[in-house]
Amino acid sequence: MFGPWFRNFSIDCNETIPQPVLLGMNLNAPSTDREIKQALVTHRDAGFTMLVVRFQPGIYSGARRLTHRHEDAEEVAQETFLRAYRALGGYDDRRISNLKLSGWLWTIAINLCRDRASGRRRPIAIATRLAASGADAPPIDAAAWNERLARLSTDQRTAVVLRHVADLSITDISEIVGRPQGTVRADISRGLDHLRDVLAREETP
Amino acid sequence: MIDIEHELANLAEVPPAHLERVTVLAVDAGDQVAMKSSVHGPLWISWSKRGITGLTPTFVDETVDAFIEHHRRAGYDVETLPSALDHDIETALASGVAEGLSFDLRGLSSFQVSVLEACQTIPCGSAQSYGWIASQLGKPGATRAVGTALAKNPIPLLIPCHRVVRSDGSVGSYAFGSDMKRELLVEEGVLLPGM
Repeated sequence: MFGPWFRNFSIDCNETIPQPVLLGMNLNAPSTDREIKQALVTHRDAGFTMLVVRFQPGIYSGARRLTHRHEDAEEVAQETFLRAYRALGGYDDRRISNLKLSGWLWTIAINLCRDRASGRRRPIAIATRLAASGADAPPIDAAAWNERLARLSTDQRTAVVLRHVADLSITDISEIVGRPQGTVRADISRGLDHLRDVLAREETP
Repeated sequence: MIDIEHELANLAEVPPAHLERVTVLAVDAGDQVAMKSSVHGPLWISWSKRGITGLTPTFVDETVDAFIEHHRRAGYDVETLPSALDHDIETALASGVAEGLSFDLRGLSSFQVSVLEACQTIPCGSAQSYGWIASQLGKPGATRAVGTALAKNPIPLLIPCHRVVRSDGSVGSYAFGSDMKRELLVEEGVLLPGM
């Protein structure tokens, strides 16, 4: 684990940020967007941890509905934040302060989900049951919903998941997917209609 | 009939427990933490990809949560230190010489880092005054600021702030108590006029 960098007596102090910024800051407590952005400006690493704690569970949940395997969802939920961290290195304070965190992260995540959907499409029949994912099983049959959502077009599925699973606004979804708000509304509406049809067929003996 | 919107809204899944840790550690934004036994009793040690970031005896922070809370970076506890790191710390604590160790002091001010660097030049078996450190930094009037910086040393014992004493020969204050500071100096063979 420790390579040559660890064998030399040295001090690494490239970043000289006053320590009190972090003292007393509970990195694992729920944080507001403002608190996270403030931390990202004053100490990127602490802000990044707060960003992960706050948003990674939601990104993971959404990605579980938009990818076929829990491994894909894990990759998306990790890679989204690694790309965000790299991007933050090139942002000045003003740009960080103006970020809409949820929309920004979801824009990255949706692109990653699309990459996986186009490059590694797998039969929905192997959609992973929750027991196999090691996650706590919710009371709703998530695997069945994965199969139902997989019957929608990519645009409809993305819009439905972002609106009703990730709880994003129409405005945010429009910015994330790069489609007009009216089109997003139509995608959601048609997607829900399609799901009602699928459910009706399931309930027909 | 199933309420579609209700079911979709309740599809949230808890991510695997390791995901947050793996993500934060991948960009070196947090540290790993483990307990280590030593000649000074059990110690909490934290480390990043760049080096050791913190050290606190367990009689100061009784739990790993307390240590992480006082830590300046996110911390994730693991069972044991990597064997190479464990060996190097063991050797450094036994010999009083921190050869082979790297310290990651990101988050400290440049002045604090300078004070800690000067402190590391004091060899085992000797002691220097707060004023000596201030002079080394070209700031002879900054004796009090040196004391404050040493009091916040995140890696005591390995960065030997216990070797900095008052100019009148008394041991001065120490994060873990003057008695422990005196004992450490005696173990290293230092005899001060005030001891």
